[in-house]
Amino acid sequence: MQAILSWQLLFAALVTGSIYVLVALGLNLVYGTMRLLNVAHGDMVMIGAYVSYWLFTLSGLSPLLSMLIAAALTAALGALAYVGLFRRLLANRQLVQRLEGNSLLLFFGISIVIQNLASLAFDSTPRAYQYLDRVVAIGNLGITENRLAALIVTGILSLVIVLFLRFHIYGLAIKALMQHREAATVVGIDVERVQILSFCIGFGVAGLAGALLSMMEQITPFMGFPFTIAAFVVVILGGLGNLLGGMAAGLLLGILETYGVALTSPSLRSVLIYGVFILVLLVRPQGLLGGKRVVR
Amino acid sequence: MIGRWTIPLIVALAAACGVPFVAGDYLIGVALSLAMWIALTESWILLSGLTGYVSLGHVVFYGLGAYVGILLWGEVGGVLAVGGAGLASGVFALAVGYPALRVRGPYFVMLTFGLAEFCKYIVIDVEAGLGQFSRLLLGGPSVLQLYYVVLGLAAAATALTFFVARSRLGYALRAIRENEEAAETVGVPVAFCKLAAFALSAIIPGMVGALMVARSSYFEPSQVFDPIVSFTIVTMAIIGGSDDARGPFLGAALLVLLSEILWARAPQVYMILLGILLIAFVLFAPGGITGRLLSRPVKVKP
Amino acid sequence: MTLLKLQSVSKTFGGLRALRDVSFEVASGEIVGIMGANGAGKTTLFSLIAGNATPSSGEIWFKGRRIDGSRPDQNCRAGIARTFQIVRPFAGLTVLENVMVAVLFGSSRERSRAKAAARAEEILHELGLEERKSQLAGSLTLSGQKRLEIARALATGPQLILLDEVMAGLTATEVNELLTAIRVIKQRRSLTIVIVEHVMQALMRLADRIVVLHHGEKIVEGLPAAIVEDERVIAAYLGSAS
Ligand SMILES: Nc1ncnc2c1ncn2[C@@H]1O[C@H](COP(=O)(O)OP(=O)(O)OP(=O)(O)O)[C@@H](O)[C@H]1O
Ligand SMILES: [Mg+2]
Repeated sequence: MQAILSWQLLFAALVTGSIYVLVALGLNLVYGTMRLLNVAHGDMVMIGAYVSYWLFTLSGLSPLLSMLIAAALTAALGALAYVGLFRRLLANRQLVQRLEGNSLLLFFGISIVIQNLASLAFDSTPRAYQYLDRVVAIGNLGITENRLAALIVTGILSLVIVLFLRFHIYGLAIKALMQHREAATVVGIDVERVQILSFCIGFGVAGLAGALLSMMEQITPFMGFPFTIAAFVVVILGGLGNLLGGMAAGLLLGILETYGVALTSPSLRSVLIYGVFILVLLVRPQGLLGGKRVVR
Repeated sequence: MIGRWTIPLIVALAAACGVPFVAGDYLIGVALSLAMWIALTESWILLSGLTGYVSLGHVVFYGLGAYVGILLWGEVGGVLAVGGAGLASGVFALAVGYPALRVRGPYFVMLTFGLAEFCKYIVIDVEAGLGQFSRLLLGGPSVLQLYYVVLGLAAAATALTFFVARSRLGYALRAIRENEEAAETVGVPVAFCKLAAFALSAIIPGMVGALMVARSSYFEPSQVFDPIVSFTIVTMAIIGGSDDARGPFLGAALLVLLSEILWARAPQVYMILLGILLIAFVLFAPGGITGRLLSRPVKVKP
Repeated sequence: MTLLKLQSVSKTFGGLRALRDVSFEVASGEIVGIMGANGAGKTTLFSLIAGNATPSSGEIWFKGRRIDGSRPDQNCRAGIARTFQIVRPFAGLTVLENVMVAVLFGSSRERSRAKAAARAEEILHELGLEERKSQLAGSLTLSGQKRLEIARALATGPQLILLDEVMAGLTATEVNELLTAIRVIKQRRSLTIVIVEHVMQALMRLADRIVVLHHGEKIVEGLPAAIVEDERVIAAYLGSAS
């Protein structure tokens, strides 16, 4: 019981939660602006992780720098996916009618392709590297430097994104698109550009989260899916387009997972995450948007 | 009404029955897996094709059937084990169906996926708790016997989907797919109909699961609950066209062929092609191959 | 005989009061019109009666049985049918199949598909849709889809039918045709109709009695001739014209 109340555990929960916050933020942008259910989102985390892994192992580049490269690469992938696939989907009226369902299947296809390409290229053995793994003591709390760094970076980045959405003109446009799609077009927002931007930010942030993660945990080509699931839980719990809610929900999930596993056993981690996922979907069956089922 | 599709189907079934007389073990194995996929995909269509509630977790019924099958086989024999597996999957569907089918559209898709993974990890944990990481099934039936049974199930699943689609229930299910509120408002008891479809689509996959454990004489949770099975079902149905009992034949044939060529040598390449096919069909031919080839003449505008 | 009775029915959506203490009765065989500006709560009223939504408070009685809280399919089989203002065809089914579903599952609960098809064809004929019966419902024109809404509602074999702006968006000729069709249909079976309509003249020509809603409240109820001259109605319409 002593261990349960330790700062150590709380810190671990915060680190996990902050990664969830970041990953969910990106998902929120893409779903919120376009109603596209990006189940390949977690795979961007995986790609980001591999970018940092290889740059570190091959050239010793610090993940804290290569995370920018990872973000740029995944952002570019986002732009590519938008231009190559989703512009077509969004433009085709017949497909738009079942947009959420179709986007889900498309992203599932993309996810399968990405995971297996990665497994083909890097084989599927778990990989890891050592970076900033010295333990520093703060009071009686011993933490590794890389976790501290990850927490600081996610904190700063979340803040930057919140400020961007609140004050920058494009941020405002993204928010407008999330809340009132039709109105946004009328007001003269260049929807096309804002959508690309949402894809880029959404994917890029996920890639960056992956880079951070690679410092702390083993990576595999199939590591992404749990993050997709976690991100969906966070977005649903926190509310669509509600970034502060998303942050609270991300941290909550981190706490739930860390303490749940500590109280039971590590083998129950997946059961726990999927259990929460199922529960969240069952309790809010209207979906991410909440009770907007207008019968006319 | 049954018309021009009856004859080709009967011919196909007769040909399928004749396969073992002309083919070697390898080909019987391929035919067995083809029959398995047809049984699974036909069952999926009964639910997802007709109601529009796309299940991305149909492997859960297969896996559950496999689990119940392996637990029962040694105790009560094959026939009862397979029957019990079907029953267990059906009962499970009834139990989770009521809450799950209140969730709509893409959220249902994710829910079914999550549910299958959830069950997978539960079974893994239970087995680990029992100190059992995999189980063996010795003295199961021969491949030939299995082939005929699974072929029978494939035929049964096809017939079931075919007749349900044309029944009173089928009208209700397609009305639900098109507009659930409107269906409810013209008197369709939607919750009951969806649940019926869910349970009907679960039974045969459960039985197939038990049989396929007997085929590999080996049970390992992460294998029988592998989400790839669900993906494959959905892809087969979408390639073939998911509106009708005819669809899966083309989709299953294509993917089984692909898998025979690639799976053993380069599983990733097979999966990549699967993903690409899924993407291509969603984007370019949402109606599937049959949708393209046999597009109904009534679809033209006035 | 009273067929339908509403007793101080209210409905709130979040903080919004869509209906407040609405009470009225409909007798068998009557045609009652419902009037009110956009957002007055007319469609919400229909959703409550048909069971698509449950009242926040109040009671709804149909044929002496309390029906608030029961499901739409139960209400349908009890004899209530409705149309949707924003049409909801089963777009991927044929026009005939659309109507057949209603025959198969409505109050008659026809078991035989052949008989259901025959019955559906009769109804399509009444609404002038028989030539379009094997077309996909999604490919009908708006006017066609509005007729299909009525056909589908009728096919459930109702005693009470709720028509929600079935004439909105139609041309003058189409409105006249539809008015005639509705009259004929009513004559032929012992139907009771509650109808929401923005086209005033249409309502005047059809309704025996009119109920006026304003911001979710019933402000007047009376004969059509009296309604057009009522100051409250005029004020409500001019005041909140949108
Ligand atoms: N499902 C819902 N959720 C939230 N608000 C709703 C819902 N349905 C209706 N409303 C609101 O309730 C009020 C009444 O709506 P209703 O559709 O009943 O009006 P109406 O009289 O039919 O209007 P119209 O003439 O435009 O059809 C409106 O303000 C509407 O926005
Ligand atoms: Mg209305």
